Amino acid sequence: MLADGGMPAPPPGMGAGDEEGWHRLSARMLLVHPVRALMSMAVPLVLVVFGVSRGDNGPWLWFVVVGAVLAVVFGVLAWFFTTYRFTSEQLQLRTGVLSRKVVTAPLDRIRSVDLESTPIHRVLGLAKAKIGTGVDTSQIELDGLTRQQGADLRVFLLRRSHVVDTGDSPSTEAPAATDADAGATADRTGEEELARINWGWLRYAPFSLSSLVVVAGAAGVLGQFGDDLPFDEVSAAQGAWEWVIARSLVLLIAGAVVALLLSWVLVSTASYVLNWWNLRLVREPGGKIRLSRGLLTTRSQTIESAKIRGVLMTEQFLLRFVRGAELTALATGVGTGGTTRLLPPAPRRVVEQVGHELLEEDGALTMALTGHGPKARRRIHVSQQWGSLFLAVLVAVPTYWIDVWWFASWPWWVPLAALGAVGLLNLAIAEASWRNLGHGLTQDHVVVQTGAIIRSREVLERAGIIGWVLHQSFFQRRLGLADLTATTAAGNERLVAPNIPVGAAIELADAATPGMLDRLRA
Amino acid sequence: MTVVQPTRHAAEPTLREPAHRVNPRALKYWVITDAIWSFVVGVGLVVGYQFLPDSWARWLGPLFILIMLYNVVTLALEPLIRYRRTRWEVTGERVFSQTGWLSRDQRIAPLSRVQTVDTQRGPVMRLFRLANITVTTASAAGPITLTCLDTDLADQVTADLARVTGQTRGDAT
Repeated sequence: MLADGGMPAPPPGMGAGDEEGWHRLSARMLLVHPVRALMSMAVPLVLVVFGVSRGDNGPWLWFVVVGAVLAVVFGVLAWFFTTYRFTSEQLQLRTGVLSRKVVTAPLDRIRSVDLESTPIHRVLGLAKAKIGTGVDTSQIELDGLTRQQGADLRVFLLRRSHVVDTGDSPSTEAPAATDADAGATADRTGEEELARINWGWLRYAPFSLSSLVVVAGAAGVLGQFGDDLPFDEVSAAQGAWEWVIARSLVLLIAGAVVALLLSWVLVSTASYVLNWWNLRLVREPGGKIRLSRGLLTTRSQTIESAKIRGVLMTEQFLLRFVRGAELTALATGVGTGGTTRLLPPAPRRVVEQVGHELLEEDGALTMALTGHGPKARRRIHVSQQWGSLFLAVLVAVPTYWIDVWWFASWPWWVPLAALGAVGLLNLAIAEASWRNLGHGLTQDHVVVQTGAIIRSREVLERAGIIGWVLHQSFFQRRLGLADLTATTAAGNERLVAPNIPVGAAIELADAATPGMLDRLRA
Repeated sequence: MTVVQPTRHAAEPTLREPAHRVNPRALKYWVITDAIWSFVVGVGLVVGYQFLPDSWARWLGPLFILIMLYNVVTLALEPLIRYRRTRWEVTGERVFSQTGWLSRDQRIAPLSRVQTVDTQRGPVMRLFRLANITVTTASAAGPITLTCLDTDLADQVTADLARVTGQTRGDAT
């Protein structure tokens, strides 16, 4: 249903398009495609150029050149055949060189607009827009709007959906925003800043485990050179040299550890700066949350705040020592799997404050929660130790019953040692996860905290709960425990309170969604 | 740290069971499908055993026998227990189901949040004139399956559900 039926709706600054209103993406994209093609061909090109000295690389050179030319031609064709237009009700995008495809999104269903500019885009003054309808996860991508078009499009699409949603007539902001140039500035008046990057937070970067993958990868590459280190020659030396060898080995290991730590700090800090440069989180008039960030690739994400159903605060093991935390928004059909990272690793106090601003309610992230009691503790410990037992058996089988390969040399105590070590570790994990486990209820939200190594507190708006699942495994039934799941359309579509006493589960569900459990209690 | 353990437990509320049992023909259907499954697994294991080298067969053999024994015990116990435990209910305001034979799953969804209603009849189910109804909401965690209803009853329930949910406004999120 539309408020203004026949309104032809090209957003400001777009021009009229052809006679049916179809637009092409900016012609500057024609420059982006060759650059991208060249970059993807860079590695093979370098290999070929360096290999030329060995002769006989003529065919390969041609192969690479033809590949690059084909990539450019395809890019141009794709640009030529990609068109989009706005009708009074829909955004339509036509793509495909050989097989044509039309994607449409109803304008009144558009819930999020993300603008992204890679360094190439930025040099050319372009942006990529991703438009989400907030119902399913597929997004419409317009890669190659000018920056102004992108900004106007964002204002146009989101104001429009807001107007239709509430049934308001376009209010005072409308005339200001229709002016192409004033669009961005008019927008800035009356917006409220929720968070801005504070470079003091950079100290949290090394404590975040997100860059672990990168450093591990780098270490793996370095490991390739490990064989070249002169261990064998050194150990072949004798006599007086032995003391030196022992010393140098210790030095070598210490050096490696220091190098690893340094590279860790370097990589994590660099990725923090690259990702979160210029971070601004603002609430725009009309109930939209806008997040902009990025040093080389800039991103701007806008979500309707009505679609934000809750937040997730995660505290990783290391971050907890320095009282840091991260914040993620749980929204419906927006971002990756309904989640959007809002803050980098930052002081817990800031995360709580921003989180409460988004929830429009105080307390959910700071309140004391109700634990799940002694039975839950027993259940968590026992189920955790099944893992240790399984691992011990896995080790015991080759030790005692398989006399081949190098298993034969394993002494009898290996399985017991494995059981002991893993058992102790699991004991600590189980105890930590029981201590962190809890639930709570505020005026508008349900709160659940879980996790051992990564403690996460998930807050979900009570109005966003669309059903309940009470699951009891065989062992849980004997202890009167259950896994209570609140189903929702936002975030990863569920909020699970594991190992909660059945009584507490039903009290929580009944209080969180009055009426849904009417006449079901016994 | 910020979690306080409860000191006492008041009278423990529980959920009652949904009102209706599944159709008694479901019992036969479950026996048949379990039997087919155990047979397939058994044949697979026996055939696989022939190709094992001796050193493996020595300790994988007992494992295979255990698996087959488990299948037979399941065949004897599971359908009856499942029949007693599987229940469903559709009232004016909600769908409520209970499934599982060793575990227990109780699912509740208000009709105002239901998005789709599907009916499935597998080939074996059709022999017994049974049907499953799956009710989905906007959450991937929320689908509710009412298993093994009589075909006519399933059609009637589906029609009722479709009529009620058709009146729902908004996108039910």
